[in-house]
Amino acid sequence: MLQGITRISTLEWEVPIGFVPGMRVPGRFFLSESLGKILEPGAVQQLANVATLPGIIKNSLAMPDIHWGYGFPIGGVAAFDLTEGVISPGGVGFDINCGVRLLATPLAQKDVAGRKDLIENLFHAVPTGVGAKSAQKVTGHVLDQMMIKGARWAVEAGFGKRNDLVRCEEGGFMKDADPKEVSSKAKQRGIPQGGTLGSGNHFLELQVVREIYDEVAAKAFGLLKDQVCCMIHCGSRGLGHQTCTDHIKILEAATKKYQIKLPDRQLACAPISSREGKAYFGAMAASANYAWANRQLITHTTRNVLAKMFSIDYGEMPLVYDVAHNVAKFEEHVVNGKRERVCVHRKGATRSFGSYAPDIPSELSQIGQPVIIPGSMGTSSFVLRGTLTAMERTFGSTCHGAGRVMSRTQAKKKFSGRDVMASLALRGILVKAPNEAAIADEAPEVYKPSEEVVRVVHDAGLSLLVARLDPLGVIKG
Amino acid sequence: MSFKEISHTADVKIQARAPTLESLFSETCNALMQVMYGTSRKGQIKREIVVTSDDTESLLLEFLSEVLFVSEVEGIVFSDARVRINGPNLQAEMEGEPFNKDRHAQGTEVKGISYSGLSIRQDANGYMVDILFDV
Repeated sequence: MLQGITRISTLEWEVPIGFVPGMRVPGRFFLSESLGKILEPGAVQQLANVATLPGIIKNSLAMPDIHWGYGFPIGGVAAFDLTEGVISPGGVGFDINCGVRLLATPLAQKDVAGRKDLIENLFHAVPTGVGAKSAQKVTGHVLDQMMIKGARWAVEAGFGKRNDLVRCEEGGFMKDADPKEVSSKAKQRGIPQGGTLGSGNHFLELQVVREIYDEVAAKAFGLLKDQVCCMIHCGSRGLGHQTCTDHIKILEAATKKYQIKLPDRQLACAPISSREGKAYFGAMAASANYAWANRQLITHTTRNVLAKMFSIDYGEMPLVYDVAHNVAKFEEHVVNGKRERVCVHRKGATRSFGSYAPDIPSELSQIGQPVIIPGSMGTSSFVLRGTLTAMERTFGSTCHGAGRVMSRTQAKKKFSGRDVMASLALRGILVKAPNEAAIADEAPEVYKPSEEVVRVVHDAGLSLLVARLDPLGVIKG
Repeated sequence: MSFKEISHTADVKIQARAPTLESLFSETCNALMQVMYGTSRKGQIKREIVVTSDDTESLLLEFLSEVLFVSEVEGIVFSDARVRINGPNLQAEMEGEPFNKDRHAQGTEVKGISYSGLSIRQDANGYMVDILFDV
């Protein structure tokens, strides 16, 4: 382990106060020894930087997919006191409400075996990659509705089922969204991109439920062994990216105005109760809602493709769950023995609410919130369930994915997109992407092993394994 | 003038060098376009970009963020930026070509330009910057 870090228990480590000047609380992260060998000093520095922010409660936290980002580390979680604390876009990221959802189908693996046309049809139906434009005609009024009502707008407009909203974090929209705080530039970017996947690590993947670890939870979530599912990973597109850019500028000025000393300008922030802090929160929530509407539109397109190809009913493809992994939210947690409303930032981390927590579908209240952890292209993804341990230790949070270990420059040198495609094809996994470089960038080897990351959160009790899903085919942005 | 991509686990980190501050800004703009679109060639479209900021780093960030915005919204791949800086004011004459899916889909979307680790340095050879693009 890196110098200056102390071990708390088998899987928990502490970055003590003083690791960087001005830390108000210690940093804590969850990691196995093997993952510790690839921990980057830059990520720990960022974890420690977050601990310098005013009003931070208990610890600056990181999940086992911790890696070097900007502002917060990726995998970072921090909660802030509503009176003393700050809100920062550096704790959310440019891709506001980047998230992932899992759609179940009535199909088994044998039904889709050899159907190369399925991935082709999905690739043509869902706009992907740089410069992709939506088939949706989004007007200014519709865009406002997307920002105010999120997935609820999409369902009311005929792009989904009522129950989709039940199986969505926040019911598919944050009610404090304020589209007035979203700039006209952000809106211009949002209009042509509704229902587009984006690029980079965003994907739509067909998967099969390979293994069930928790029969009761799997049944309640609607998952069966050998069932074909579809995982969708994307966010708020240019609208969210521009909102982050615009508000960092506003919050940079606010940081000076409120005399907040920062170790990294990307942590620009303002008191939660300030005008600037409220403006960012309103704009961020509106962008988060756009992302939920976006994932709902992609879900609708996917269902239509599957329904047509396999003569199944639209209603036979229920949403298992939808989670946000780049977001700031007001939530109630126990702080010093008392329930308090705090502002939780999750930057590349997933909410993992345990039994009987608020905002869990009533039929799942005993089991806990479904947690969806995508693997990398070609590796397993996992469904877990939220826990009371997460509520106590990590403000109800767990990891969000595998986490990269290799840069894109190294990946491009080491792999060719064609070879990666060929080796995945040998394992029966089909890949479609706008270009080969996008495939090399996301080769399975550039990520930490998702099994190890998930094992750590399971063993640490931050979320518990329910099912493993293996990829069958993927479209990359 | 030159730029190169240096190793960063999650995102794209660019290191650029140039003899003057203005050419350093042009070079980082070229890097941004290359990351987003792969290759580009000289085009007929002209645009002017004007931004203002208190310090040099934020001026660069504002400039690149504006390039990103115009490029995405208007569908322009810029091949050249002639930058003039006067105190807190930047004015750039941009040239580019229309986005063409067949030639410009070789890159990856840049979500934003980050302040993390951003510092412009000057030595005997000119100016240098490390800048992080979130992809």
